[in-house]
Amino acid sequence: MTYPEALQELIEEFQSVEDKRERLEMLFELADEVVELPQDQWSEETRVKGCQSEAHVRISINEGRIQFLSSADARMVQGLMGILTIALDGLTPAQAVLIPPSFAEEMGLLNTLTPSRSNGFRNMYDKVMAELRL
Amino acid sequence: MLRDQFPIMQRRVNGHPLVYLDNAATTQKPQVVIDAMNDYYSKSNANVHRAVHTLAGEATEGYESCRNKLKQRYNAERVILTSGTTEAINLVAHAWGRANLKEGDVIVLTEMEHHSDIVPWQMLAQERGVELRYVPVTEHFTLDMDAFDYALDGAALVCVVHTSNVLGVRNPLEEIIAKSHDAGARVLIDAAQGVPHASVDFEAFGADFMAFSAHKMCGPTGIGALLVTQDVFDEMEPFMGGGDMIDTVTIEGSTYQSNEHKFEAGTPRIAEAIGWTAALEWMETFDLEAEHTRLIKIASWVADQLRDLGMDVYGRHGEHDAAVVSFLHPTINSEDMAHLLDARGFAVRTGHHCAQPLLTRLGISGTVRASFYVYNTREEAESFVDELRIIVEKFS
Repeated sequence: MTYPEALQELIEEFQSVEDKRERLEMLFELADEVVELPQDQWSEETRVKGCQSEAHVRISINEGRIQFLSSADARMVQGLMGILTIALDGLTPAQAVLIPPSFAEEMGLLNTLTPSRSNGFRNMYDKVMAELRL
Repeated sequence: MLRDQFPIMQRRVNGHPLVYLDNAATTQKPQVVIDAMNDYYSKSNANVHRAVHTLAGEATEGYESCRNKLKQRYNAERVILTSGTTEAINLVAHAWGRANLKEGDVIVLTEMEHHSDIVPWQMLAQERGVELRYVPVTEHFTLDMDAFDYALDGAALVCVVHTSNVLGVRNPLEEIIAKSHDAGARVLIDAAQGVPHASVDFEAFGADFMAFSAHKMCGPTGIGALLVTQDVFDEMEPFMGGGDMIDTVTIEGSTYQSNEHKFEAGTPRIAEAIGWTAALEWMETFDLEAEHTRLIKIASWVADQLRDLGMDVYGRHGEHDAAVVSFLHPTINSEDMAHLLDARGFAVRTGHHCAQPLLTRLGISGTVRASFYVYNTREEAESFVDELRIIVEKFS
């Protein structure tokens, strides 16, 4: 599986940490990487469904390149958004849709990534990818 | 020691000893329950009731022994085995509700109900034009009994949760049952969270229906019971047709069994019934009341500690309430809290706990819930509080 370079580096960084709590702390820090989607722009269209907490995402394309805006009230979800920000920002939609959702699992952040698991991440990933494919 | 009988307690999670505090969702199983189910599949597996061969006899005896055990333990005339509390309540809605309720009749529910005691009634209301009235929850986490008295006027059925799965609060059931009967209403008790903590004499209790699940009292998943009085049993019509529930079937029509089998169409949950019997027998090997007293002391202590850590605690920990502590930190998100705890081996629940109307009343969207059961120790509770202290210091 090949990931964009920035994401691959992040995956390796997470994999080098054995303790799950430490990995969560690293993830929480990545929450600061998001380009925030202000609350007054939250709507049903931006909402990530199936998430236990409030999570909103929006994709904007500037000169053919992705800008990923997002916000969540759970630090963990926002951390995953931070990872997506690092992964997606600056790519073209055609490049971005090739990124598989397995990176969160490879980073040791989620135990499973089945579509039925309502951890919100998979829903967020699916929503972003669906919008990029439009 | 009681705890040693649970093999899962040896488990390590994320490199740490498992501290299982999600017992209101489901409990762990002692070795005797696991063995009973294994033995059945290894030695006696067969279908029940019809065949005359030895294995069928053993399977039938095993399945029916569960019913008999429940009748004896809870002093009930009729025990219908279901897949759990949810199916038991749906069975009442279908088998009793459709036969006895008509447009304009009133069902009284409470805001404290689990979704499984709300949605079946909403479906019936939509189908039959039945009116639903919800008794509100007060700021003290109890039912508004003045509102209950008011709602009772003209009610045909009252459905109330024995003990809240979110708050741990045990409702004043004796008062509710007496007043409901005075008003001419039948009463259904959702006892999924109540029965695991305190045995109930169903006949003396006086309710008409009582539903609960095996898996919340160390039994298997996939099986539960509906306790029914004989009077109400006679008012119920079968709703699921199929094998086992019939007396005779001809091309022209069918006649039905007269006993509980009438409501248990199809091959039942035989291994699960045998596992539940083993769990019920196992529960007789210790003093459940004394265990409950121990657990409520632990829960009450945890609740006090969490308040000291700046948490908002939702619920009450009186001697008859359940050992459940629902809480929120003002700045740490509940999902984040649960993930941080899981990383250290603590299993807790977050979210709306299938009780969204209650959380709406409380003005919150979810809580973190720690719920204790017979294998939990004071030391686990202390390590839980210690871990929360670390989380609060580091992440708030």
